[in-house]
Amino acid sequence: MTNGNTTRNESLVEVRGYQVALDRLYHADSHMWVKPVRPGEVRVGLDPLGVETSGTLAQLSFANVGDQVAPGRAFGQLEAAKFVGPLVSPVSGTVARVNDAVLADPGLAERDPLGAGWLVDLSGTDEVELARLLGSPDEITDWFARTVDEYRLKGVIAE
Amino acid sequence: MSRRTPEAATLRVIDFGRVSALRSQTLWHAVAHGVSAGEPPTLSFVRPAEPYVCLGYHRRLDEVDQAYCTAEGLPIYRRMVGGGPVYLDADQLFFQICLPAGSVSPARTAALRDLLTPALGAYRAAGVAAELDDNMEITVGEAKICGHGAGQVENAVVVCGNLIERFDHERATSILRLPDPTMRAEVLRMMRRFVNPTPADPEEFQRAAVEAYAGALGLTAEPGELTELERAAVEELDEQFTSESWIAGPQGRRRPPAREVKIRAGVWVFAAEHEDARVVASVVGDSVERARFRTSTPSDDLYGDLRAAEAAMAGVTLAKAPAVLAGFGSTGRQLAAAFAAADGKSL
Repeated sequence: MTNGNTTRNESLVEVRGYQVALDRLYHADSHMWVKPVRPGEVRVGLDPLGVETSGTLAQLSFANVGDQVAPGRAFGQLEAAKFVGPLVSPVSGTVARVNDAVLADPGLAERDPLGAGWLVDLSGTDEVELARLLGSPDEITDWFARTVDEYRLKGVIAE
Repeated sequence: MSRRTPEAATLRVIDFGRVSALRSQTLWHAVAHGVSAGEPPTLSFVRPAEPYVCLGYHRRLDEVDQAYCTAEGLPIYRRMVGGGPVYLDADQLFFQICLPAGSVSPARTAALRDLLTPALGAYRAAGVAAELDDNMEITVGEAKICGHGAGQVENAVVVCGNLIERFDHERATSILRLPDPTMRAEVLRMMRRFVNPTPADPEEFQRAAVEAYAGALGLTAEPGELTELERAAVEELDEQFTSESWIAGPQGRRRPPAREVKIRAGVWVFAAEHEDARVVASVVGDSVERARFRTSTPSDDLYGDLRAAEAAMAGVTLAKAPAVLAGFGSTGRQLAAAFAAADGKSL
C-alpha cells in the first residue's frame, strides 16, 4: 500500500507532514533510524516522531567510543523538560564514533534529525539484525503514517 | 489516565519516612528497578534526615561549589532524573510516582503533565491554591512551589516532586558555583521571588496525594514495602551513587559558553563575557528583567553610560538585545556578543 499523503523528493518523502528518508532502515519501537555509512559501520539517529515525542532537547549523553551496545538497551540518555530517558539502540554494535556536534547542541537533533543531528556510529552490527528493520519504501511510509495517525488519535502528538 | 488492568490494580504506597541523604535517593531508584521488573505502580514518600546536594543526571559536577559543600558537610549525589543541582533538606517532603513505561504516554511532556496533575490535586486538597502552568511547573502565583524531575529507569517511568515546607534560599544559592558576587546576588533575588515554600500540612498532603494518584490511575492504594529484589537494589545503588564515576556524571557534555542557572521554567540568570565586557542578566520568559554590565576598559563612547545601557535592556527580548546594545558603541557590541553566548537551552 502506498500512502496517499506522500510526496516524493529523491530519498526524502513527506508522510503526514513529516520528512522521512527512504535511504535508511527504521526500528519502530525505538524510533531510531539506521543507515550504513561505511563498510562495517552504521549510523544511528532519532526519527522525526522520536524527536517530536521527546520535546525540546536540553541534554544528550552517549556511551563511550569502544563500548558495546545491544538491541533494546540504552546507548545514551536524552533529557527534555527535566525528563531523562534512554536512547534505545535498535541494533547491536560497538560505538565507533559519537556526534560531538549534537552533544554540543542537542537542538541539532531536532532541527535536522535525518542529517547533521545523527547520534552515533556503530561498528560490527549483525546483518541479521539489519534485515529485521523496516527497509522498503512502502514498509517505511506505511508504518510511519500508521504511527502518526495512532499518535494523533491518542493525543500523543498534535494534529 | 485510567489504565486499570487485572495485573496492575494496586498502587503500592511506601512511606520511607526520614532516612539518610543517600537513601533518600537510592530507595526510590530501587523502587523503579522493582516496577521495571514487574512490581506494581508505586507512590513513595521520603524525607532526608540531613541536608545534601543533588545533581540532575546530565548536569556537570562543576556547577556545584564543592568547596562550600565540603565545608558545610553536604554530600553531593546524582539522580537518574532531570533538572539542575538542588539543595535538599528535612524541610522538604519528597514524593515519587513510578509506573511501567508502557503505561504512560510516549510523549514526554504529556506523560509529565499526566503524572504531575494528581500532585496538583494533592496541593489543592491540602489548601494550597496551586496551578500547573504552561511551563509544566506547579506554581502559586509566579513562584514554583514544587521541584520536579522525571526519568525512565529501565522499563519504569518515575516522576518526583516535593512539598517544600520551608526553603533556605541562601543555602540553595550558596551550593552553586557562580562566577561572581553579582550573579550570586541576582540568583538569590530571583530564587526568593520565584521559588516559594507552601504552608500545607505534610500529612494532609501525603494523604491527598495517595488519593489523587490512585484515583487518576484507576488503582487501589495499598500500603507496601520493598521486595527482596528491591532491597538488594538499594545496596547496589548505595555503592553506585557514592562512586566517583557516577558523581562525576556522563562524559562529553558541553560546557556552555555562559554560566546559566535556571530558577524555574522560563526564568533564568546568566553570566557571560566577551573581551572586556561582562554581563549578568536575569531573564523572565524571553525578556531581560535586569542586566548588570561591567567592562575592564570602557571605551570612550560608552564611558559613563553603562548604567544607561543596563536601563535600556530592561524588558528587551533576547532577540532584540544586539540591536539595543548596538546603540552603545564598540563596548555595546561586546556586550551584545556576551548576550549571544547565553541561550538557556541546556537548562
